[in-house]
Amino acid sequence: MSSAVCSHCLLPVRAHAHEREVNGEAYQFCCYGCALAFQVHHGQHEEADAAWLLIRLGAGAFLAMNIMLFSLVLYSGSLGPADGQLAWRIHVLLWALATPILVILGGPFFKGAWQAARNGQATADTLVSLGAIAAYGYSVLEVVTGGAAVYFDTATMVLVLFTLGRYLEAIGRGRAARSLAPMLAAERACATVIVNGRDSERPVREISPGTTVRVRPGERVPVDGVVIEGRSQCDEAVLTGQSDPVIKFPDSVVYAGSINSTGQLLIRTTVAGPATRWGKMSRLVREALSHKGLLGELVDQVAAVFVPAVVILAAGTILYWSSQGSFEQALMAGLAVLVVACPCALGLAASLATALGLGLAAEQGVLIRSGGVLERLARVKAVAFDKTGTLTSGQVRMTGALTDGVPETELLRRAAGVEQGSEHPLARGIVAAAHAGGLAPETVPNVHALPGQGVVGGDGDRLTAVGNARLMATLGWTIPPALAARARERSAEGHETIAYVGWSGRVWGLLRLSDTPLPEAKAVVKRTRELGLKTLLLSGDAPTVVKSVAVALGFDAWQGGMSPEEKLAALEARSEEEGLIAMVGDGLNDGPVLAAAGVGVAVGGAADLARESADITLPEGALQRLPWLIQHARKVHKAIRMNIVWALGYNLVALFLAAAGLLQPVIAAGLMAGSSLVVVINSLHVGKEQYPGPVTKPGPATAMCKD
Amino acid sequence: MTYYVMIFFAGLAGSFHCLGMCGGFACALGSDPRGRTATVARHLLYNMGRVTTYAFLGGLAGSAAGALVAYGTPGMFTTAQQALALVAGLLMVTMALQLFGFLRRWQHPWAGIGAHKVGFGGDTLVVSLRSLLAVPHHSAPLAFGVLNGFLPCPLVYAFVAQAAALCISDPSRGVLTGILTMLAFGLGTFPAMLLMGGVGGLIKPVWRRRGVYVAGAFILVLGLITLSRGFLPFSGHLHPL
Repeated sequence: MSSAVCSHCLLPVRAHAHEREVNGEAYQFCCYGCALAFQVHHGQHEEADAAWLLIRLGAGAFLAMNIMLFSLVLYSGSLGPADGQLAWRIHVLLWALATPILVILGGPFFKGAWQAARNGQATADTLVSLGAIAAYGYSVLEVVTGGAAVYFDTATMVLVLFTLGRYLEAIGRGRAARSLAPMLAAERACATVIVNGRDSERPVREISPGTTVRVRPGERVPVDGVVIEGRSQCDEAVLTGQSDPVIKFPDSVVYAGSINSTGQLLIRTTVAGPATRWGKMSRLVREALSHKGLLGELVDQVAAVFVPAVVILAAGTILYWSSQGSFEQALMAGLAVLVVACPCALGLAASLATALGLGLAAEQGVLIRSGGVLERLARVKAVAFDKTGTLTSGQVRMTGALTDGVPETELLRRAAGVEQGSEHPLARGIVAAAHAGGLAPETVPNVHALPGQGVVGGDGDRLTAVGNARLMATLGWTIPPALAARARERSAEGHETIAYVGWSGRVWGLLRLSDTPLPEAKAVVKRTRELGLKTLLLSGDAPTVVKSVAVALGFDAWQGGMSPEEKLAALEARSEEEGLIAMVGDGLNDGPVLAAAGVGVAVGGAADLARESADITLPEGALQRLPWLIQHARKVHKAIRMNIVWALGYNLVALFLAAAGLLQPVIAAGLMAGSSLVVVINSLHVGKEQYPGPVTKPGPATAMCKD
Repeated sequence: MTYYVMIFFAGLAGSFHCLGMCGGFACALGSDPRGRTATVARHLLYNMGRVTTYAFLGGLAGSAAGALVAYGTPGMFTTAQQALALVAGLLMVTMALQLFGFLRRWQHPWAGIGAHKVGFGGDTLVVSLRSLLAVPHHSAPLAFGVLNGFLPCPLVYAFVAQAAALCISDPSRGVLTGILTMLAFGLGTFPAMLLMGGVGGLIKPVWRRRGVYVAGAFILVLGLITLSRGFLPFSGHLHPL
């Protein structure tokens, strides 16, 4: 997937991008307005090039207003009894004033329309160009033949209003893009590298591991690395969503994207510039922006049919009205149809609100794969949670062991040996307990995990297994009745997970592991239910454990002892009943389940987003952002729907009025600019909805390299 | 004709108010390194752009008034004229009080260019204007003036309202009246703005202050007259002022 994103508003760029060079770098833009606004804001002000576009608008407006004034006077008959010769002279003057405008302001529209036409497409530019050229051409013909019906004011005002509309629209989009900037800054970031004792600026993408980088106070750390000199505090909000400062001193690990607050740091990089987590997140956000949402796709399809249909309607309008009355009136009605149907607002309806939605989430460290995901999340009917590592801390403690004929230390040593390669919270709990007991875990070859059951390692007769009763049953190993009885007793009390440990064809003991629910888990479940969603707990743990946790946290439904396949099946069955279901897991063990769920939400570890399993990644320890995120998604969805209804409704009503000959083309152009503005303002409201908790600040601007 | 002269002087007086606001722009536009002639040309262009915008606003007001006359009833004209006179009068009185140093809190919304948030439209305009200031090109001051003219300004609005009211009472000349009113007003603001920009700080602060008081008094009287027309029954044949 190419990540073609407009350099100004970060919306997807369609097939024919506007390409421009600003400050010697190549950029691409989705529309003329964005190119204009970008150059005004980013072009160095000494460079005439940037503001030149704005001058065009101003100078064009100057000429157009003069045309309008003369035309108004002519129309109003204020000159007294019409003096044919005087009127003709004024017409020639208007022609002279209008021609530069056609070049200055019309140029970009004509170019856009021409590019589209070569691809066999018709766009909004086509409509504007057709309208302006028709009005201008007809007026020139009238002047030359000495006629009275000149419409230079229409031709020029349409161009001025559309240019202005696009400029304002682009500024609105630029505002939206600003919230995404810290997330995207990684790709163009610059680092101060120390080579032979001297500082030099270098783009992050050229930095290799082992480079020494200086980070001054207040700067964003551009690389992943280890502190070699200096002390400071870093705000890692962009990565974790939590803005508590983290103290850094020599040998501390620092992450690219965090903000260095108080002191100067010298860092030795550990990975190449583009390979940092920040860099990866940055690419993911950019990719998310380049995907269109479902509604966005729909809008594009509508717009594709819309433009040609409007051209036909305009032609029909002209034909009909010229058969009814004067050709001039018919022409005006036709032009009004062309101008008023411009689907600019429709094009913005979904994309702007989506980009803002993604940006606001990204500010909270929440990464979303695409706008479509946000739309799906808004329509979710139920949320399924995994237990271990998601609702519980994942900091598993071993609370006890029972053995049958072997010392406890041997049981633990063997179990830890099998588990030490695993990232599962239970495994980490076992290994930690072994280390705490001063035991060196035995190295076991050929370890592999059986999701939802446990881990098996070793070969042949020396096979060792740690897992639940089902795993032991699969292996055909017997559980001594005494152990089984104690296990049943224990699990009836809930909360504790039992892991059997076996080798040489039988089970030798069990380990009792306890994992406490996160303090915020209960509130998250409650808030989710308050949003009108069903809550499900799906876990691989023993049913009794799952039940006690589910009851304690207030779940609607629960199911325990599930393998990943069973979780998948349960999700499928449930979603047929309830509708779209979101699955929340830790991303490590639930990968396939997350991937198959309506919306897969991984908590912790943005790296997992790259594994293509999750649609959404919450930062570590930020489960409480889930209800907010769902609400946020609903707001975005609502804004998009409102925008579409508004843009379509407005367009259709205006179209009807125009075809009925009730709308002047200039007023139509004004209406269209207004329509886009309404969509922009409505979408900007999405960005105002902040996360209610501690909010991460945008932080300093990232230093950009001037290549 | 006398009426337009009156408006011209109102503009002239009002431009002392402008000195506080647009004066900043005129100064920011500064002098042209290419010499005195170039500087004067620069400021003429800027003011031309500004006045064109005013005239355009007058034309719009005139057309709106024309539409009202065409489709409304005589009762509506009177109400509209009175409402417009009230609006214009109130704006003028407010402005005059500001010139006397009252109503400090009602600072002009974009007085500190770029320092304040002005809201969607104003903010955007201000940002755009700022970027125009740096460009040496000849048409930059023109574009600058055009955009400057659209910045929200109570004085301009007062006279636009005035122009609309006038167009209603004199529908035969309609739009032209509106345009000429605003043109006269704009030309009235010409001298002060030219002086401010071209000759820079030649006017001593003391004189500026005195000028401001005179201007304030003038606008206050004008505002009160306009306001009274909002309360008194209107006669369609009575020539305004």
